Amino acid sequence: MSLVDSMSMAKPNLESREKILSKLRGRDPVNCFQCMKCTSGCTALKLLELKPHEIEKLVNLGLVDELASSDIIWTCVTCLKCVQRCPQKASPYHVIMALRNLAVEREAKVPEAYMKAVSQILETGLAEAYQKITTRKMETCDRESLKLPKISGPKEGFQAAFLKALEERQA
Amino acid sequence: MTRIGVYVCHCGLNIAGVVDVEKVAKYAEGLPDVALAKHYTYMCSDSGQRLIQDDIEAHKLDRIVIATCSPRMHEETFRKAVAEAGLNPYLVEVVNLREQVSWPHSHEPEKATEKAKALVRMGVARVKLLEPLEKQKVSVEKGVLVVGGGIAGIQASLDLANAGFKVHLVEKSPSIGGRMAQLDKTFPTLDCSACILTPKMVDVAKNPNITLLTNSEVASVKGFVGNYEVSILRKPRYVDEGKCVGCELCTQVCPVKVPDKFNEKLSQSRAISIHSSHAVPKIATINPDYCLRLKVKKGKKDVCGKCLETCEAKAIDFEQQPENIQLKVGAIVLAVGSDVFDATKMPEFGYGRFPNVVSNIKFERISDASGPTGGKILSPKTGKLPKSIVFVQCVGSRDKRFHEYCCRVGCMVSLKQAILAREKLGGDVSIYVCFNDLRSFGKGYEEFYRRARDIDINFVAGIPSDIRMASDGSLYFDVFERGTNKLLEMHADLVVLANGLVPSDDIKRINELFHASRSADGFLLEAHPKLRPLECSTAGIFLAGACQGPKDIPDTVAQASGAAAKVMDLLSSGEIEIEPLKAVVDEDLCSGCRVCELLCPFLAIDMKKEGTVGREKLRAEVIEAMCQGCGLCSAACPTGAIQIQQYGSRQVLAQVDAALAEAQAKGGS
Repeated sequence: MSLVDSMSMAKPNLESREKILSKLRGRDPVNCFQCMKCTSGCTALKLLELKPHEIEKLVNLGLVDELASSDIIWTCVTCLKCVQRCPQKASPYHVIMALRNLAVEREAKVPEAYMKAVSQILETGLAEAYQKITTRKMETCDRESLKLPKISGPKEGFQAAFLKALEERQA
Repeated sequence: MTRIGVYVCHCGLNIAGVVDVEKVAKYAEGLPDVALAKHYTYMCSDSGQRLIQDDIEAHKLDRIVIATCSPRMHEETFRKAVAEAGLNPYLVEVVNLREQVSWPHSHEPEKATEKAKALVRMGVARVKLLEPLEKQKVSVEKGVLVVGGGIAGIQASLDLANAGFKVHLVEKSPSIGGRMAQLDKTFPTLDCSACILTPKMVDVAKNPNITLLTNSEVASVKGFVGNYEVSILRKPRYVDEGKCVGCELCTQVCPVKVPDKFNEKLSQSRAISIHSSHAVPKIATINPDYCLRLKVKKGKKDVCGKCLETCEAKAIDFEQQPENIQLKVGAIVLAVGSDVFDATKMPEFGYGRFPNVVSNIKFERISDASGPTGGKILSPKTGKLPKSIVFVQCVGSRDKRFHEYCCRVGCMVSLKQAILAREKLGGDVSIYVCFNDLRSFGKGYEEFYRRARDIDINFVAGIPSDIRMASDGSLYFDVFERGTNKLLEMHADLVVLANGLVPSDDIKRINELFHASRSADGFLLEAHPKLRPLECSTAGIFLAGACQGPKDIPDTVAQASGAAAKVMDLLSSGEIEIEPLKAVVDEDLCSGCRVCELLCPFLAIDMKKEGTVGREKLRAEVIEAMCQGCGLCSAACPTGAIQIQQYGSRQVLAQVDAALAEAQAKGGS
């Protein structure tokens, strides 16, 4: 592709583009005609400035390197509105997920919260840790004080199986 | 001794850019019985055809193989050329090197050349076994059936009637006029739709050559080009067409309210009603699904009957029965039109849930002087004048979830409606159009777009993701605008969705009745998109208007006149030639099993009883004029008794042998 981003002097990375496209069977960003419906309805736009249509276009043009190392791809809150409403079935959500995978592969900096979530799952087997809650009457309660049964840790071999599953998804 | 001439066409670079045509020609020269092989840039050109004609004379050729584009394209051209040189036109074999070789194999030229060689080898093997055939002539009926009374059907009928043909115009609703009758004004000239359509509707009713059959549907179609037998079902109106004068007294006394379809259900009509204010014919019709007497107590005379009492012309007739009308026609014009996309399928826009979200066809009724608001643009929820209007483009079209095609009218319809709104509501109202790409491609359309910008209609490059309703019924939504890279929050009292055109509900029935194929988009398929755009692939059936694909009025009228001209071309001489490639039955082999009769989609097989009494035997006979040479019977016949001329086992197996010859020579099995 014979174009250069004059702002950053970035050149298209066709190899990475191909890699992303190959993971999106039937949901090609190449079909995107920039109607902006995804961005019009994007949950992460107003606070986090995620513009899915921009991501679609940049991937299309092969300008993926900057994207893969940017923070913006981690702002998607996976509400899937864009998947539902895209008239071209180009699905920005799936493109963003492919970009996140690419970022991890390149060992780019992944936001702490995501790493925390992964180690949380590895340790406890839960996506969300159970926590103490303060009520309106300023009482602190946890599972024990509410006499809820204890939650046991993950079964043996869970960590290995979880990591293996992650790897398989990568491939 | 057969002497075959082989001609390889370059088709410019279409074929020669991939296939090594010289090699193919050289290869063909070495095939048995080939007297000469040549290659040339354009075989279909005048000089290309002359090349064949000269060779036929100079080299005493008696069979011709032309390796070129699809036979659907130019087989007829080459047959004619060969016939001019004195050879029977059916001794030509066309080998397809373009659609079947160079185009699909453009990335592998060597393999493509090998495939081209193999196809030429098969063609040469086949051409030896072809037999000379003669075209047959059959006489034709001069009547024409036009199905659908919209602007397409009206235009085609008038053109044909004026040329002296008898036309039967069938319309399923009680009045002709179709979709165009519902429109307020038309782009890009802003003519009033009724003013240009109504005179044509009246012309149809007055023309002595046109029989108008409203409230009627085609029930069955038999026969073949030039000789179709059509049966029409005339549904009862329960009103005597000869007596009703269209005074509308009955519609004032009828107590049953019915959603008015013509007004897109924005208002109500009665169980007895006249289709619209400028209906042709202007005759009342009773809707049997709603009429108290017809529905609630069938036949009991004491129910309601208010119309019966009021009608001074004594036109009401509850005893009317459906009627079957048999017609003989030579050709059929299909002009069944299209429907408007149902936007309730797209929940994000709230159509159907939010009263102030309307479709573009509803807006036409709101804006039309004969519509429910008398031409005042009012918000359906509050009945007040809207302060801001937003048009949303590409609803249901250019959308893989619904219809992939561009509806071809949505942009222009919204421009027109925006201009009408500006004219009617004045400069204080804000008008926006949210668009993808604004397509103003026709003659005078781009100027129309400029006219809209001139009068301060704002264009927002972006489509909302969803539309929400505030408690007062007004609407608000976010749009990301690609020109400014800003998220805009828009508020509107009225949102008009640019719903696209979709194949009509009846299209499946039409497809079955007339053997009219459909394309992937669901519309009726033309025989060739460029060379035969007005015809169906079934001979004698023509297409006009939006049933063939979404169209605006100028294109529809042009296509309708074109289809009418094609009908005149077909029928004017009184007889037509039909292809001799038909099924033939070997009587000795036919066992009378009737498989062919059951399978034939054209009802071209007749089972005849033969033999002496007590030892009777059934035999299949082909009605030649009806057979289309499709070959279903031949493939299914258990004894091989029925064969298609030029495509019998002899010719096909020779081709198969030739296809395998090389493989065997190489030691394959």
